[in-house]
Amino acid sequence: MDGREIGWAMVEGILAGMRPSVKEEVIDFDKIFVRYNVIEEEKKLGLKPEELVKDIMPKDEPWKTIAYAVFKGDAATALEETKKALEKYPPKEIVDKGLAPGMQAVSKLYDDGIYYLPQVMLSADAMSAAVQYIEQKVGAGKIEKKGKVVMHVAEGDIHDLGKNLAKVFLVADGWEVIDLGRDVPVDEVVKAVEKYKPVMVTGTALMTTTMTAFPKIAKKLLDKGIKIPFICGGGAVNEDFVNTFPLGVIAKKAHQAPKFAEAAKKGISWEELRAKWHEIAPA
Amino acid sequence: MGIKRFTSMAYKSADDIVFGKALYPVYERFGVPIGAGFVVPEIKVAPRPGSEKDLETFVKHHKEFTEEILKICATLGFPYIMIEQEHVFQQTYNPKYAYETAHAQVELAEKYYEEYGIGVTIRHTIGDIRKAEAEGGLRESDLTKRMFESFEQAASAGVGDVAIETLGGKEIVDYAVARGDIKGILFGIGVCGSEDMAWVWPQIVKIATKYGTIPAGDTNCSGANTVMFLAGGLMDREVAHTIAALARAIAGARSLVAVEAGAKGPLKDCGYENPIIKAITGVPICIECTSICACAHIDVMGNLNRAVGDVYSNESVEYHQEFGGSTAEVWTAVTGNAAALSNTALQAKQEKVLRDLLTYSDMYRDPQGLILAYPNAYRIGKVITQYGKDPYLRAKYAAIEAGNIILEAAEAKKIKLSRWELDTLNKAMETLKALPDDADKFLEDCLKEYKNVPYFNPKNYGW
Repeated sequence: MDGREIGWAMVEGILAGMRPSVKEEVIDFDKIFVRYNVIEEEKKLGLKPEELVKDIMPKDEPWKTIAYAVFKGDAATALEETKKALEKYPPKEIVDKGLAPGMQAVSKLYDDGIYYLPQVMLSADAMSAAVQYIEQKVGAGKIEKKGKVVMHVAEGDIHDLGKNLAKVFLVADGWEVIDLGRDVPVDEVVKAVEKYKPVMVTGTALMTTTMTAFPKIAKKLLDKGIKIPFICGGGAVNEDFVNTFPLGVIAKKAHQAPKFAEAAKKGISWEELRAKWHEIAPA
Repeated sequence: MGIKRFTSMAYKSADDIVFGKALYPVYERFGVPIGAGFVVPEIKVAPRPGSEKDLETFVKHHKEFTEEILKICATLGFPYIMIEQEHVFQQTYNPKYAYETAHAQVELAEKYYEEYGIGVTIRHTIGDIRKAEAEGGLRESDLTKRMFESFEQAASAGVGDVAIETLGGKEIVDYAVARGDIKGILFGIGVCGSEDMAWVWPQIVKIATKYGTIPAGDTNCSGANTVMFLAGGLMDREVAHTIAALARAIAGARSLVAVEAGAKGPLKDCGYENPIIKAITGVPICIECTSICACAHIDVMGNLNRAVGDVYSNESVEYHQEFGGSTAEVWTAVTGNAAALSNTALQAKQEKVLRDLLTYSDMYRDPQGLILAYPNAYRIGKVITQYGKDPYLRAKYAAIEAGNIILEAAEAKKIKLSRWELDTLNKAMETLKALPDDADKFLEDCLKEYKNVPYFNPKNYGW
């Protein structure tokens, strides 16, 4: 390399070192990604949620005020109006004509892709506040439920958010939930199923080595002749694993829970649920 | 050792932050340099279900996949590797499991270092198996003692570094996130989480130092990652991605506590908040993002965190067979090759070009990526140091700064937000700005508001 070549090499080296990093202005980001959520939402912006659920919502008082309080997630009003109603009406009527329609409306809008989880949660909180008050006054068990569901988080696992979300969806839909909590031993789950005779049992787990409790539970239930669906979900839990043991049916989202319960109540077997969950309880 | 708060930035310019280089590199056992001009690949394998049935089976399984990882490093010519063992429950609950698995892995690391010269470091991430509701709570229960004992055992077995994912404040975050409650998220992550870390971390540092093991770092996996997972992809409707972005900024203020207590890095891989902490402290960081960790989960930050990461992790993969080999082999190949690209850029002195390409590929895909892009992570870091001495205030203002970044980008039409994302962000910003600047007042208010949240017990945080 002669002196001139060395000189050019040095210039190129200097230029390379000084080369500006990438300029944002030259990038057409629309060719890299698309925020489909924005596009999808725009299609629905003209829709008025209250119009879409007007057939579900009651028109007469006091049911209308109670239902709309639940619908809007206004716990204070839902509780106050429920207190007043309880002086005149039986608990079942308050639930059926006021609280439940408000919750059904929110659930419909969520299922239709218009509402979001926080709206469902706040409505469920409002409904729960009212139902708890009624139960305190008249006694638990006086409000008719659709059926029972036993829920738990696997032994050694404390990650219970998924279970808690699914529980909210179930309670809001009128199911009685026997919540065994988190880090629950296998035998405790089996005993609860024997005792409460639920339409189904659920289990969630985050880790590969805690979800191994599920086949043990399934085996013990089968040994006792219990063949209810065992709905399994959580971080490490996948369909391949759940399909390795009897009773197991995979769940991917919390909002599937009421649909699984309805199916179980109708007597749809775990085998059929496993095969057709995409249709029966889509994620 | 006490807590030394950061009130100024280690990096003087965002442009100085780049992958593979940290202001304060860490040199692990077996010659592995972290943040010293190389990107090191990391592999993490979750043990096969059933392997936990007894100690012998468990250790044998760990030996098998560790050797597979090391063989593939030799096969593909990788000079360095970090093998992380994120403890499953049984591994921390039974400290003997922690020792025996660590010991077996360290022996293999020595073997491959001696045979091939491959720099292998073993990380053990001890499981935070504490339960808020256990007798003795987060601080005094049998589970707490077992957790610290597992740190002792892993460190004494010779691992390169130890890490953890502390879960202080998780009960509050779980409650708040489903309700879109930014105040609760701030309280859970920014206050409870920081307080718990300030209690846990000095003890970890003490144990690690005793054995010459590096106290590496923490992550807000239990908080901000829960929010991120629930927020999901673009079409999910559980949590607005703008809220997830604010939670991440808050987590930056929270996970910093580990370094303030003496952690040296590389910070734990699933801390997506790590770019903020690297900007503040100059310590090296492990990172994950979809392009290298899709085996574990898919987020909307495909390449972004690779731009400033010093260790590229696959996050976790369950052990099984793929066409290319076992998942241990396949994902070592993935992270190893990602690291090779970045190392090539470093050698060619093109690291800033690659850094910016990795950043731009995701910066405007989602608000979560936007606030973690290195210039914005730096902005958030600056605000955190401005209020550095007060864990609550720095978390609050980190969230507000993240909100400002998103709103500015939306206004400039650089990021498109849905109505829901924008409305939720505006509401959260109003809430945050209305909160007091007095940490005691905020605490008093939250203790009343969240007193009935399941498993929440102020005693767990020393209140």
